Amino acid sequence: MRNVAIIGCGQTKHSARRRDVNLAEMVGDAVWNALEDAQVTSQEVDAFTVGNMQGFGGVAQPEQWLGDWIGASGKPVLRIATGGSTGGCVVQAAYYAVASGLYNIAIATAWEKHSDSKEPGATTGLAHVALGNTINMINCGVSFKHLLSMTLVGAAAGVACYQAMYYMHRSGCKVEHLDMVAAKDRRNAAKNKYAHLQWPGCTPEDIAKTEWVAYPFRYGHICPASDGASAIVLACEDIARKRCKKPAWIKGLAAYSDEENQLMSEGAGGIGILDASQQIGARMSAIKAYRMAGIKDPQKEIDVAEIYQPFPSQELIFAERLGLFDEGTAWRALEKGETDINGRMPCDPSGGVNATNAIGSSALQRILECALQIMGKAEEHQVLKEVHNAVATGWGGATNYIAVTVLGDSFY
Amino acid sequence: MARRVAIVGYAQSHHQHDMPMTREDMVFEVAKGALHNAGISREDVDTVITASTDFLDGRTISNLYTSMAVGAYLKDESKVEEDGAFAASYALMRILSGVHDIALVEAHTQGSVVNPHLVSSYTFDPLFERQLGFLNDISAAALQARMYMNKYGVSEEQVAMVAVKNLMNAADNLNAHRKMPDVTVEEVLNSKIYYDPIRELTMSPVSDGACAIVLACEQKAREITDKPVWIEGVGSCQDGYLRDRSLYKLDSLQKAAQDAYEMARVSDPFAQIDVFEVSEKYAHEELMIYEALGLCREGEGKALIEKGTTEKDGEIPVNPSGGALGADPICATGLIRVIEAAKQIRGEANGYQIPAYRALAHGQFGICAQKNVVFILGSE
Repeated sequence: MRNVAIIGCGQTKHSARRRDVNLAEMVGDAVWNALEDAQVTSQEVDAFTVGNMQGFGGVAQPEQWLGDWIGASGKPVLRIATGGSTGGCVVQAAYYAVASGLYNIAIATAWEKHSDSKEPGATTGLAHVALGNTINMINCGVSFKHLLSMTLVGAAAGVACYQAMYYMHRSGCKVEHLDMVAAKDRRNAAKNKYAHLQWPGCTPEDIAKTEWVAYPFRYGHICPASDGASAIVLACEDIARKRCKKPAWIKGLAAYSDEENQLMSEGAGGIGILDASQQIGARMSAIKAYRMAGIKDPQKEIDVAEIYQPFPSQELIFAERLGLFDEGTAWRALEKGETDINGRMPCDPSGGVNATNAIGSSALQRILECALQIMGKAEEHQVLKEVHNAVATGWGGATNYIAVTVLGDSFY
Repeated sequence: MARRVAIVGYAQSHHQHDMPMTREDMVFEVAKGALHNAGISREDVDTVITASTDFLDGRTISNLYTSMAVGAYLKDESKVEEDGAFAASYALMRILSGVHDIALVEAHTQGSVVNPHLVSSYTFDPLFERQLGFLNDISAAALQARMYMNKYGVSEEQVAMVAVKNLMNAADNLNAHRKMPDVTVEEVLNSKIYYDPIRELTMSPVSDGACAIVLACEQKAREITDKPVWIEGVGSCQDGYLRDRSLYKLDSLQKAAQDAYEMARVSDPFAQIDVFEVSEKYAHEELMIYEALGLCREGEGKALIEKGTTEKDGEIPVNPSGGALGADPICATGLIRVIEAAKQIRGEANGYQIPAYRALAHGQFGICAQKNVVFILGSE
């Protein structure tokens, strides 16, 4: 097996409406920033992996139009899309492209430009996801019960509500803890110049003052819909050691999907995952990724986590799925400040998806942020402790697609 | 390549218009079929890669309901957009990396659900071409055809001969959609015109269909089958956008083929490859493909079809299965070519078998074949 490292990272500023650039220019910015960071020329790049949720931006196969802007003409381009986990899967594809020995330097880039579509995808996107199948179902006959279960699911926020309630019920976590997560993420985001929702000094009380959207979520809990792009340069071991003082090695990775998507619970003829916060796929992915990385006790060996958390409950749920805390105790650790930027197990020092959500790009940013922490390039949001190992997640589909990536500063 | 990888099982649907089956049923059948063909079960599979696109499936996250039907649940899996042949190249990388040993690759489109020609207009530059509204995949292909035909003096009859060859070949293929055993050049030239010179019979039909293959590393492949089909070479490439490329030739296919030839140590494809399965979404593209694959000099594609060199009994048979003109379930089309090439090597192409030790399969995607992927397959 060939060792693969991240040698350069590039992002664009994320905000609600990037009217200063079009889609191609925005993605171009991220890729050129990454090339500059890696000190690699466009000609040296062997392959590209790209991805976004094409329905949200309204362009089909956008990489064919914008390929020239990122220097992809005349190169292999693999397009990956799996919903929210897209960015994670794009990086994993780039990892395999280099690890296979077919290519030496690959670029992974992912993006979203929500403001180009009529409705922002981040919060209503899952309604599309649910309703998309109705065309096929109407062709073949659809039962009223089935139709109801799809329309009542309530988009991404709806799915996350059910999931949060399961978690809160079994762990004892309260809405106040969700306020604390959201406030922490907004504060962290204020230190990240690329983040969207920045709120220096945000307190849980500030979040608790915002309106209810759907119990247990308040307006202040929910991620924004952002425009933005990010890119990573990956290289094989020889090149990484020559070109980069402190490469971030990809030590383990996996993307196991859950048994079924959440829209297929018993109302829709599926086997019915009763507890949507179980996320078996995340557990399986973490186990495999840690095994590849040689990590035996993630609670001791992982130094920082970048968790895909459009909703604050997910930071707690996935931190447990990743084995960073014992089952049902993440909210207690949160109370003690362990997940703070200077805590024992910093979670989302960048502010995470809760503060910035350009869907395709979000899961790629998690890996990118882990790389920055390992390379020591996270500037203001660099965690206090020394970072040797970091873990990143992506979450997509209708709760069922997961991508877990473990990065480190060296091999064991 | 770091490891040898082989195709050890495959399955495809009976491609047709308006298949009386849900997408989930359709992909379930082919995934199960491919595993059955390989003689393994879902538990043996390490990784699953599926291929479909959101716009063509008419839904966001197109794999949301199909990945479970394919058997990807609780597996390390992913989805490649666009052609299944690209998904196969990704699965190949996953095995070559040493992380996985056995991969299942599935691709599908039901063209009858969402009109693919309508969808194609969303691939254009949204700031300029799309606003003008003149271009879709067919009108762009018409520009490509005219540029190619004008530059090299290719006649409409010569283009029609490609359609005749492939539609007649499709008649022998049980899985093909458009079978016309008695079609003539006149009939092709009299078929309905869409955008000059693209006619109903010189463009691919809108099909529903799916296919799946199983890939395995050398050790597993030998355990699974006596007839592994080895992947000897692979190459893929994307061209510039429509405005920024030479439309009269397929530069990206040429580059992809060169990479694949180099990897497979093929110096003279005409002599060293026995059969070709290519994705010609339009009849004129097959002539351009001959040239890009190095089977003849630039502009000489017409000579190959005139002399019958690429007929089933010619020197270098191209598309004995009928190609994309015979059936085009868009995202599956390239992967079907891989299957058809593997069938030729395994001697399982009933009715259109060609003695073959080495075969080439080609998949494409995008406006005027903007993206291309080439596989070289071989027997022991």
